[in-house]
Amino acid sequence: MPRRDFIHKWTVYALGLLPVWLLDAYILPRVPLWGTVVPMLLPLAAAAVAVLEGAYAGTGFGMAVGLLWELAYPGGFGGQVFYLALAGMAMGAVSQYALSQSFLGCLICSVGVLGLLDCLRVARMLFINAAGLSDLLQVAVPEFLWSLAWTPLVWLLFRAIYNRVGGTKLA
Amino acid sequence: MKDFLRQNGILLLVIAFLLSVLIGVLSFVMGGKADPLSNLVNTVTAPVRSGIAAAADWVEGVYGYVFHYGEMEQELKDLRTRVGELEEEVRQGEEASRENEQLRELLKFQTRRRELTTEPVKVTARSTSNWESKLTLSKGSDHGIEAGDCVITETGVLVGIVDKVGLNWSTVSTIINTDTEIGGIVTRTYSAGVLEGDFSLMNQGKLKLNYLPEGAQLVSGDEVLTSGRGDMFPSGLPVGHVEGVFTDPSGQTRYAVVIPSVKLDSLIEVFVIKDFEITE
Repeated sequence: MPRRDFIHKWTVYALGLLPVWLLDAYILPRVPLWGTVVPMLLPLAAAAVAVLEGAYAGTGFGMAVGLLWELAYPGGFGGQVFYLALAGMAMGAVSQYALSQSFLGCLICSVGVLGLLDCLRVARMLFINAAGLSDLLQVAVPEFLWSLAWTPLVWLLFRAIYNRVGGTKLA
Repeated sequence: MKDFLRQNGILLLVIAFLLSVLIGVLSFVMGGKADPLSNLVNTVTAPVRSGIAAAADWVEGVYGYVFHYGEMEQELKDLRTRVGELEEEVRQGEEASRENEQLRELLKFQTRRRELTTEPVKVTARSTSNWESKLTLSKGSDHGIEAGDCVITETGVLVGIVDKVGLNWSTVSTIINTDTEIGGIVTRTYSAGVLEGDFSLMNQGKLKLNYLPEGAQLVSGDEVLTSGRGDMFPSGLPVGHVEGVFTDPSGQTRYAVVIPSVKLDSLIEVFVIKDFEITE
């Protein structure tokens, strides 16, 4: 793919990420579900692009999303960049070799990336003895389910972008 | 496997790993100051954040006006009644203050003084995570804000402590966040304890007053203020009211659950205490 088309393609994906980020960072925290639960949309964006574009692009996009998460959100310590890049690679590879580039594939990958993220958080909180397992699950489970409910919207957005500029369409 | 990784972005993964380490090290080294990368990103995105916050506040205002007009009217009536009661209390308080001053002069006590240097700031973003309670503010080091500064409402109620400062933004760890640790005192009994965030209480919007003295007789509704011990934070800032007193699972110590006086989900403007001088 020529350099110009490559830049065009990833600029459009970055523009697609913009509304997801604004919704995730500034709009949805103002209207939490049941007064407390805020969804995580950025891992869903990484999952959608990894499923559509494959492992290599998934790694790069995951890294970019991780960087955004670390730098533009409070309380980052660096781990999200590597986690989302690794998750992007894994999700891209799984969708390439085992699943299909479909909504179902994206949903399965989203379950994986969100589930593992919440498991890691619960494990970390248990390790530092911050709370009991039941208290942590009361946060993790609604967060996981509410985040997952946003998968169709994120998938539709990135699917529309993929239909326009994705894969080797610009080549 | 080697070929698979080579084809599928192992180089990108290595870069991601190095970036993770870099961000982790920088945030650890910089402490209360934002690391250069997040400072850059948040400084550039500050106008977007402020714009969205202003628009969202306006929409919330219109929504409240349209759908909660009756409630607002009732609240206004209640507030007018409350203002009348408070005016009466102020009149009585002024008299008591004059008497107090005369007695202090008579006994040659130093006059009690409380000076707070504050900076008004807008709340531009609310907590984005279910695992912590933080706010993002519209001003930072360019307005003299530092990590560790107290944040209060227009009525002086404690909101939280500034935990990271960038050029034109800062983040606040609210009083219900799990890293909160401030000296607290119950005004009725003068029982001192430590106000601490607790994960399970955080999601209910509450916090703990830990390490209560053995004989402390607290009741529901008791007011809790900052004690000012350690001179890190000003004393006398209202925090909230006691909901109930409990014994921890070990049966060794008692703690009180405190309901904060501040409504964290509806804050628009707050004040950062940049400096304070209190003479008791």
